[in-house]
Amino acid sequence: MLLHPRYAWIRQLAAFAVLLAVWEAAGRADMLNPLYLPNPSRIGAALVELFSDGHIWPHLDATFTAALGGLALGIAVGVLLGVVAALVRFIAELLEPVMTLLNAIPRVILAPLFVIWLGIGLASKVALSFILVAVLIFFTVFTGIRQVDRRLAERVITLGGDRWSLVRHVYLPSVAAWVLSNLKIAVGFAFTGACVGEFVAASRGLGYLLSFAQSTYNAALMFALILLILVVVLLIFAIAGRLEKYLLRWS
Amino acid sequence: MSLVGPSGSGKSSLLRAVIGLQQPLSGTVETLARAQVGILFQDDALLPWKTARDNVALGLTFNGMERKKALAEAEAWLERLDLAGFGDRFPRHLSGGQRKRVALAQVLAMKPKLILMDEPFASLDAIVRARVVKDVVALVDRERITVLLVTHDLEEALSLSDEIYLLSQGPRAHITQHYLVPIPRPRDPVHSRTHPAFAPLYERLWADLSREVDHRAEAP
Repeated sequence: MLLHPRYAWIRQLAAFAVLLAVWEAAGRADMLNPLYLPNPSRIGAALVELFSDGHIWPHLDATFTAALGGLALGIAVGVLLGVVAALVRFIAELLEPVMTLLNAIPRVILAPLFVIWLGIGLASKVALSFILVAVLIFFTVFTGIRQVDRRLAERVITLGGDRWSLVRHVYLPSVAAWVLSNLKIAVGFAFTGACVGEFVAASRGLGYLLSFAQSTYNAALMFALILLILVVVLLIFAIAGRLEKYLLRWS
Repeated sequence: MSLVGPSGSGKSSLLRAVIGLQQPLSGTVETLARAQVGILFQDDALLPWKTARDNVALGLTFNGMERKKALAEAEAWLERLDLAGFGDRFPRHLSGGQRKRVALAQVLAMKPKLILMDEPFASLDAIVRARVVKDVVALVDRERITVLLVTHDLEEALSLSDEIYLLSQGPRAHITQHYLVPIPRPRDPVHSRTHPAFAPLYERLWADLSREVDHRAEAP
């Protein structure tokens, strides 16, 4: 019965527990160098410490603000540019090569530039998150609008709809659907932008803590932070997934 | 009234010109005001993100009806088309026949004087199709709506219409034949096939249409 596909999660959990136990045992038997691979119990303790003395909160706050700010701005600007480019050929001619270029390069290489331009504060992290998200959303919307089902547009026209009805009942819902179906990727990008930005230069944030842990060779803290970021992103994924499922319940 | 003809004779283009989706290459189209003409395509083209009820109400709100009233009206049309209780469903969660009925309700709710139909039943399987067709005939008769039907299906053309026009093979297609169907109304589309006038007219239509198609084959 335990081999039933429905209980896969139990087996996965059990395997993970075994891995942790072996890891812990190996660590206690001095088979692992704690400088590189600290025991799971040490990592857990580091994580608990982050929260118990409360000094994680300003860092979480900084990363969340940067990621969500970049996400919101990136979606807004990406949708706007995507719609305009899809409707105005002249704008598309100007924007498409730039966006293609930005899409082709790993955009995180812009991080140092943003630090020079915007300082080591919040702005440079929001900017990096923003550029990661905006390019993704631009292409989603730009290619999406050109594939809007012609028949739906004709349906609205023959029922007496005007241009605004077309935008409201056909184009906007289509755009919303594409953006939503890319929301999880966008969330991932937003956190990547925030953390990398903080890693490069910052005084707060999870990325900054990571860079601090690295410079002090604090592997336990590093693992704890990676775990924390993982949990945070999974949480937001779950929320985005719920949102997507509800808003796209028609599909 | 039905329009039959070989593929490429411009039947669909004609309908599109009448409803204003397409400009005729030459000449003009004289028709009723836009709000009095409805069109039903082969695919249902319902907005997938709107419920059945919202889809039906769409045209009403476009023409200035208050939303609440439009929704009530839409519900009434859904009931008339045997879709009571399906108003909250999204098109994806309806069967092909149900979607067709929603599309019909959407058009009928506008109270058109003329409905253009472009192979509207082609995508339905036989039983569903017979039922939908029957309801369409009943509603159209009752509301005294003129229907211009484009179809490949001669039986459908004969059992539904009073007049049939045959278009010649394109390009430069034109009307070559005009038939009157002497089957009395109100009609039952299934049983009108057994009317004595049906078979001979079918033979004639079939022969004329075949000639048009052969014409194409012989052309250089």
